[in-house]
Amino acid sequence: MRKTTKAVLIILFIVAGFIVACRKADVTANAGNPDSEWLSGGSQTAFDEGSGAFSHMFNGLPEFLERVHEIGDGQFEATFVSAPAPVNPGLGPIFNNVSCASCHVNDGRGKVPGTGESAANMLFRLSIPGEGEHGNPVPVPGFGDQLQSRGLLSKKKEGDVAITYTETTYEFADGTTYKLRKPTYTIIQPYIPLPANIMLSPRVAAPVFGLGLIEGISEADILANADAEDKDGDGISGKPNYVWDVLQEKKVLGRFGWKANQPSLLQQVAAAYNGDIGITNFVFPKESSEGQTQFDADPGYNYELSDSLLHGVEFYVRTLAVPARRRVDNAVVANGKSIFIASGCIKCHKADARTSVNVSLPQLSNQLIHPYTDLLLHDMGEGLADNRPDFLASGREWRTPPLWGIGLTQRVNGHSNFLHDGRARSLLEAVLWHDGEAASAKEKVRAMSKAERNALVTFLESL
Amino acid sequence: MNKTIIKALVIAIPLTLAGISCKKDKTTNTNTDSETLKKEILSDVSNKVCKESYEDMYTKSLALLASVETLNTTTNDANLAISQAKWKDMRTTWEQTEAWLFGPIAAEEIDPRIDTWPVDFNALEDILSSDDDLTEAYVDDLEESLKGFHPIEYLLWGQNGTKAAASFTPREKEYLLSLTQNLVKLTKEVRDIWTTGGYTQELALAGQGSTEFTTRVAAYVQIVDAMAGICEEVATGKIKEPFDAADAGLEESPFAKNSLTDFTNNIKGVLAAYQGRFINDGKGLEDLVRANNLSLDAEVKAKHAAAIAALADITVPFGDAITTQQSKVQNAMDKIGDLQVTLETKLKPFLQQYAK
Repeated sequence: MRKTTKAVLIILFIVAGFIVACRKADVTANAGNPDSEWLSGGSQTAFDEGSGAFSHMFNGLPEFLERVHEIGDGQFEATFVSAPAPVNPGLGPIFNNVSCASCHVNDGRGKVPGTGESAANMLFRLSIPGEGEHGNPVPVPGFGDQLQSRGLLSKKKEGDVAITYTETTYEFADGTTYKLRKPTYTIIQPYIPLPANIMLSPRVAAPVFGLGLIEGISEADILANADAEDKDGDGISGKPNYVWDVLQEKKVLGRFGWKANQPSLLQQVAAAYNGDIGITNFVFPKESSEGQTQFDADPGYNYELSDSLLHGVEFYVRTLAVPARRRVDNAVVANGKSIFIASGCIKCHKADARTSVNVSLPQLSNQLIHPYTDLLLHDMGEGLADNRPDFLASGREWRTPPLWGIGLTQRVNGHSNFLHDGRARSLLEAVLWHDGEAASAKEKVRAMSKAERNALVTFLESL
Repeated sequence: MNKTIIKALVIAIPLTLAGISCKKDKTTNTNTDSETLKKEILSDVSNKVCKESYEDMYTKSLALLASVETLNTTTNDANLAISQAKWKDMRTTWEQTEAWLFGPIAAEEIDPRIDTWPVDFNALEDILSSDDDLTEAYVDDLEESLKGFHPIEYLLWGQNGTKAAASFTPREKEYLLSLTQNLVKLTKEVRDIWTTGGYTQELALAGQGSTEFTTRVAAYVQIVDAMAGICEEVATGKIKEPFDAADAGLEESPFAKNSLTDFTNNIKGVLAAYQGRFINDGKGLEDLVRANNLSLDAEVKAKHAAAIAALADITVPFGDAITTQQSKVQNAMDKIGDLQVTLETKLKPFLQQYAK
């Protein structure tokens, strides 16, 4: 009797084991394994390869937090109009766009304007040489640190930017040619004359998913990869940026933005509202146009966005899940990954990170994630340089951007423009623009056979 | 001896069982008929739902334009009523297409240019009182909150929905005409991408050389995600936000008092995609579902009917209902939410398994 029970139990146990094993063989393979390579965002991974792939809420949020996310989502899409108005007042007076979602379309990557189009999904940082009191770039008198290329009807926009591209032909070792286009930017029709020594840095709207996980990586983990003086002599530096935290009033590690010039999601969101849409908030309560001719608010004006909505949007981007990998088990993808590692791409685009323990938001806590970034600054060479320092980032340094989800850009955003200014027209072009610290990796790619290059790109497309 | 047999059984039985359960997982796509059906469904959803809807919307935009031209030359209440009817007509199609809001309409940012809410009234007044030449090109350059459906709606109905033809100013007529011309242009742009631009084939030929959809399942998932997406948008956004705030000022289409119709058409679009029928009947997701899981088909349709019924149960304009018929509004949100859950947790996994 006892033995039978035992045997039955054993049988049941084993059967259950096999059933689980069978499920694992499905497309969502290894979804049960929390450390699976398929799960780019750990437990906060979304299985969607459609146009909504970047727009999924975290799994397992309690209902009241789901509602906060939804409110943030609605606010992220809210179109602002000129004040006074019953709905979403406060746009401008000068701005770059009218809502968060109009640059971060589908929570994704901005498209660069074609010839003759206005720069809708990108903006231009401005400064003059020197350092501000916090080590920040020095704003341009009459313009601030960003060119607002749109204005309310009665207000003058600060100017526009004309983009032209020069194409150059290069050759792979196997004789195949490829073309890269280098952009030139000219500020046209500035509303007042520009200083001669103005510095200009183009920035395309970056995808906004997975940012809570990025924020969850401990500072110690990021700094462990730093090697600013290249003491290990591998040609890769990895420099942390230290930037001004407006609320803490001190310098802290920068994590977000193309030059890691924003320390937190709250400050990133608040700065974008203020600078890009002209919506003041408690973090940045002054209109960006204050001191300029477009400014017309009454003295002692209140800021425009409520604290709860600002926090709602902060929470929204914090809790956007990361799309799962596709075709991880494909042989070409696996080969491409080996090439990615062997070429040294992995030295900066680090595959793995782990988020810290987070008792206030357990969904973010202790997750093995695969962002493919070290979040550090690297010299990317003269070709990509904007020659505009941003806190500790030099004019040649850029933050390693996360690569997760990059293979879905075409699907989600309908284009394949990459890098900070969208100059690369494909993933391969983006790779080939790498220089500076990445020169040796790039040269390895140039020396590859066509099949190897294709494998590398196929791997990137699976991210 | 006994023990050995038991041991052998302990190993053999589960292995057999496991073998059977594994095989079952893989028997779904060997049938040629089902293979044809799966291709046909994608082709029909693409051609007979998406493409046809954008063609229909373009035709209706031309009808709206013609009526606005007539209104401009012969401004009377009868012609105003015709323009209002044509606006609602076109809006009916547009709201249904929101159930397949993927592809060029989103990627080319056409959606925000034709359907941004709210309207920037201050700027609108500034435009009307300016000396600017209100050409179509001028409108095209305006902010999103100054073009598309809603500024047209505002001009046709007025702030309180009581506009009379006699109150039209020449500037309003000029702006209205250019706005409508711009709407026609953008509608044509979407239609062209689906037709001559080849996007219809991208969807129809998913997994057969399509660059947009490298697998067939990806296309099916895109379709069901869009269906669930509009349910979420209506339930948690379009209805819930004005409702929670008890503020009719947050309502979309307030001038024409068309919000409930908008919501209903959004949800009707879900069934159009599911059944593969916009105007002409074709194969839809339902055909694959019905071949394999009749109870799921019944559930989708029952939940859909319940959502439509709940919306129809609201008897006053939406802006009033949020304060006078709260339980009915809440019920509509719940029923649309139920439909969304079925689409996401049952139909989507079904398609992931059976559409391969």
